[in-house]
Amino acid sequence: MQSKMKESEPILEVENLSASTDNLPILKGVSLTVHPGEIHAIMGRNGCGKSTLSKIIAGHPSYNITNGGIKFLGENINSLEPEERAQSGIFLGFQYPIEIPGVSNLEFLRVSTNARRKFLNKEELDTFDFEELVKEKLEIVKMDHAFLSRSVNQGFSGGEKKRNEILQMALLEPKIAILDETDSGLDIDALRIVASGIKKISSAQTGIILITHYQRLLDEIKPNYVHVMSDGQIIKTGDSDLALELEKKGYEWTDNFIKET
Amino acid sequence: MEIIEKIKTNKSIDNQTEIQKICLDKLRSRPLPNPKSEQWRLANKSKFSNFLDYPVNEKNPKFDTPFPNTSKSTIRLVIGNNCQINLIEKNYSIQQLTQDELDKYIKSQIFCFDQNENWSDLLNLSLSNAKNILGLKINGSKIPPIEIFSHSSGNSLNAKTLVIFLEKNCDVELLQVNLGKENSSLSQLTYFCLEENSSLNHGVVSYGENRSNLLNSLKVIQQKNSEYNLGSLHFKFDYARFEISIKQSDGYAKTNIKGMQVTKKDEQISTYTKIEFNGPNGFLDQINKSLADDESHAIFEGSIIVPKIAQKTDASQLSRNLLLSNLAQIDTKPQLEIIADDVKCKHGATISQLNEDELFYMRSRGITLPEASKLQLSSYFQEIISFIPISKDRWDLLDKLLNEK
Ligand SMILES: Nc1ncnc2c1ncn2[C@@H]1O[C@H](COP(=O)(O)OP(=O)(O)OP(=O)(O)O)[C@@H](O)[C@H]1O
Ligand SMILES: [Mg+2]
Repeated sequence: MQSKMKESEPILEVENLSASTDNLPILKGVSLTVHPGEIHAIMGRNGCGKSTLSKIIAGHPSYNITNGGIKFLGENINSLEPEERAQSGIFLGFQYPIEIPGVSNLEFLRVSTNARRKFLNKEELDTFDFEELVKEKLEIVKMDHAFLSRSVNQGFSGGEKKRNEILQMALLEPKIAILDETDSGLDIDALRIVASGIKKISSAQTGIILITHYQRLLDEIKPNYVHVMSDGQIIKTGDSDLALELEKKGYEWTDNFIKET
Repeated sequence: MEIIEKIKTNKSIDNQTEIQKICLDKLRSRPLPNPKSEQWRLANKSKFSNFLDYPVNEKNPKFDTPFPNTSKSTIRLVIGNNCQINLIEKNYSIQQLTQDELDKYIKSQIFCFDQNENWSDLLNLSLSNAKNILGLKINGSKIPPIEIFSHSSGNSLNAKTLVIFLEKNCDVELLQVNLGKENSSLSQLTYFCLEENSSLNHGVVSYGENRSNLLNSLKVIQQKNSEYNLGSLHFKFDYARFEISIKQSDGYAKTNIKGMQVTKKDEQISTYTKIEFNGPNGFLDQINKSLADDESHAIFEGSIIVPKIAQKTDASQLSRNLLLSNLAQIDTKPQLEIIADDVKCKHGATISQLNEDELFYMRSRGITLPEASKLQLSSYFQEIISFIPISKDRWDLLDKLLNEK
């Protein structure tokens, strides 16, 4: 099974990626390849660069790539705008979803869904048809319809914001989803709902990167690979047992690997 | 300031009515507002004098509404177009005020005019001839929605006046549309008297063409248990002022206001509101939005007056502003004057701009930069537009705003 997956074209290839912001280096040579059907977990201490990696993959304009690059479906995307990356199927679930006062959540979801559909040569949806689609997707994350009439994330609780992220993932049907601490701040039931939602949305054709601090999410969604990041680098990669070992031994244990690399 | 020179030498108007005579007299003694007064200090002087640089238009050329046709159930009136109305139906009546009723009412208003606060009114009543004054009394229930148009014609200064009495217990939806033609000035003065238990959903939509100007003054008196809802939108004027004065004469009344002004290029549009609570248990919820682009200037000043007699007043006023360019300017100043002690008054002003995090979030969902700002703008507009009666079904106001160059 593993070897078969390897034969397929990778969805995402991060190659020796270094990046900085305001001349401050944050990523220092990250490499990571995701094939269809794979689930990767990235763990690591606070501040080691996990969110930065995810934002750079999504095209955040504040960071400069100083070395290496990112390929999506075989094409270098270093110079693509964030919206182009999103339209072509890269999804970032934010660690801290942004509140946009005054912008209706429903319209926001509709415009973004249509942007992706346009790219896929699918028909764009009017308000009426979109309501039908969104109703179906709300079910996946067990969200109430009332959230649609509010402003984007405004006044949403931490958990509600995270569900709204997964709702967006469900609508956009990405090729690859990077979920940055989607599990943080979720209660036990919500974690299950979100985890089963992620499983429903993903398929043998899609890839997932879970950034997390907790084993709990990985119990629900078993990763094929676990990577440990430290100071802007991936210092160790293993299978799902690596996460369990980390849980027991803490990050001090992995500090030794820095010397190894 | 052609018109002011003519007023000074009493050559402005032929066949003056009694009201015009009184007002012209007043104007002659002090022809201009004090530029240092609160109401006028931010007014762009050259734009203001442009407003006054046209000859008075006393004829009314034929007016073709560039607007959606009325549905059968809507009443449409154009001030100045010989509009005679005398509708007496089973449930309601809409009738013209008699000359006596009109004169008596207007005179009682002139009596308490203030030089700066009522300067626009004084100018209007000086220039507005009998044909351009429409007075109505409305009574009854199940009244069809009413649209009233005011318009200026090119290369002239036009004054139009509207006086409406809503009699006890009646409930009306009324959309007022003010249109500025290219190179013209429009002075619109509107009086509403809401008698006990009456309710008015009032929409004001004003927009112009190139180099058009507007002085729009709205005076509302609310008696007990009346409800006044105002949704207003002003855009595309080189220079426009919207002056609102609302008085809850005996308290126990409700006022809701959602207003918005949009400025581009080097336009200046300002809104001045004065809400007076002259009795207890009054309610006000007001939001004013300004949106300024290019090198334009938007101004909002709102004052709320709560004297001792107005105990248990519950008033809130919010000013929200969106600056779309570094060269644009928004001045906003909510003012509270509270003497009563048992009142709840909130006011606040926020100035916001599309920030980087919000933009990245939208872009990371496939939304392009222009779409992102359109999305934010349309939501920003929508709150106000949805409050304007009648318009929402048939008028593409949102389209007009978003696609206006
Ligand atoms: N725009 C920026 N300006 C300055 N420093 C930044 C910027 N973005 C990230 N950093 C710094 O880069 C480092 C990595 O940040 P990042 O958010 O990627 O960490 P993280 O691994 O996601 O941490 P956590 O587990 O706490 O979410 C931090 O020290 C952070 O302060
Ligand atoms: Mg992070």
